[in-house]
Amino acid sequence: MEPLLISKREKRRLASQYADLCLTCGTCAGGCPVTGVDGLDVRKVVRLALLGMDQEVIDSKFPWVCTLCGRCEHACPMNIDLTALLRSARAMRPRDQVPGVLHKGVAQCLKSGNNVGIPKEDFLFLLEDLAAELGEELPGFEVPVDKKGAKYLFTINSKEPFAEPEDMFFWWRILYAAKESWTVTSENWEGVNWGLFTGDDAAMKEIVGRVVKNYKEMECEYLVLPE
Amino acid sequence: MSIHDLLKQYLEEGRIKVDKSIHHELTTYHDPCNYGRKSERMFGHGYYEEPRWVAQQCCENFVDMYPNRANNFCCGAGGGAWAAPYVEERTFYGRTKAKQIKDTGAKLLIAPCHNCRDMIMKSLRKEYDFMDVEVKYLWELVADSLVIEPREEEGEAEEE
Ligand code: SF4
Ligand code: SF4
Repeated sequence: MEPLLISKREKRRLASQYADLCLTCGTCAGGCPVTGVDGLDVRKVVRLALLGMDQEVIDSKFPWVCTLCGRCEHACPMNIDLTALLRSARAMRPRDQVPGVLHKGVAQCLKSGNNVGIPKEDFLFLLEDLAAELGEELPGFEVPVDKKGAKYLFTINSKEPFAEPEDMFFWWRILYAAKESWTVTSENWEGVNWGLFTGDDAAMKEIVGRVVKNYKEMECEYLVLPE
Repeated sequence: MSIHDLLKQYLEEGRIKVDKSIHHELTTYHDPCNYGRKSERMFGHGYYEEPRWVAQQCCENFVDMYPNRANNFCCGAGGGAWAAPYVEERTFYGRTKAKQIKDTGAKLLIAPCHNCRDMIMKSLRKEYDFMDVEVKYLWELVADSLVIEPREEEGEAEEE
């Protein structure tokens, strides 16, 4: 292996501003539940990054079994930005090698406005149907769609309309009881941004941008993401 | 606006009423990484106390896991791991969480995050054998504790 100049920051592609401050104390890895999986741990990831061995990290599954929970960096005495480092390793995977459905979800969200590709008509029909059902118990209940000037704009986790629609009742009951002014939008209502997980900053920005656009157009006071 | 602030505000202002006695079993709370550590790092405020306060308005017996708040263990499904194919690793990861939960002896677990709730309810409970612990979202706990006042002229709208 060719010797590397540790001082040459631009050699490092994995994002961490402070990795060279690492004391190799191992506090990070000591409190991480996946230390050792795939022969790696977070302290070793820092070492690899410092040695310029980025590809080893990028190709390993460690950055993906790591949940980016932040426990390591919370405990790190040098406050090293470990989750940024790990997330950047995810970002450097070619998109077709992103594990599982994550990138497909991102692509679907960019295309259809939600991660699972529910068409607008189906979504609206579902809301109406569910609202009628809840209305039997709570007289006068309805789901305000695209209501301009509502106080709160709620996003929706696509998992709910997709698989567990009645879980939406929990929030609806609370909003009914509080007599709140709220709304959901008929398009780009997805509240889950998988770009965050795949390290895809461009997609993440686009998806956030759409939600913010809704929020502005609906002239709502607050945006709520019940995640 | 955070859901914790919103729920807390409703309760504080008396806009919603809840009945504690509906949930009398021992209850514990899982700190999701996003509302805790991440929020603390990014926005300077971690939501540790608000959800605990909300939960305690809706249940009679509350116990914390150990460790908790900023030192809490992740459920194992964060960062998109719930949707990634590494099931075995994810389950292995969750062993610390499972132990934390079991050690409390609680029979009801509150998780204010979709991901954590799914991981704990649908995976960890089975893998680590604590099916007797019920899992609810924080807003589900609130919704299930609601005492809804009937709207004018309408009949009683009671919770089941
Ligand atoms: S805790 Fe921080 S200083 Fe210690 S080994 Fe880990 S990254 Fe390095
Ligand atoms: S962020 Fe990743 S490496 Fe750090 S403690 Fe959590 S799972 Fe382990």
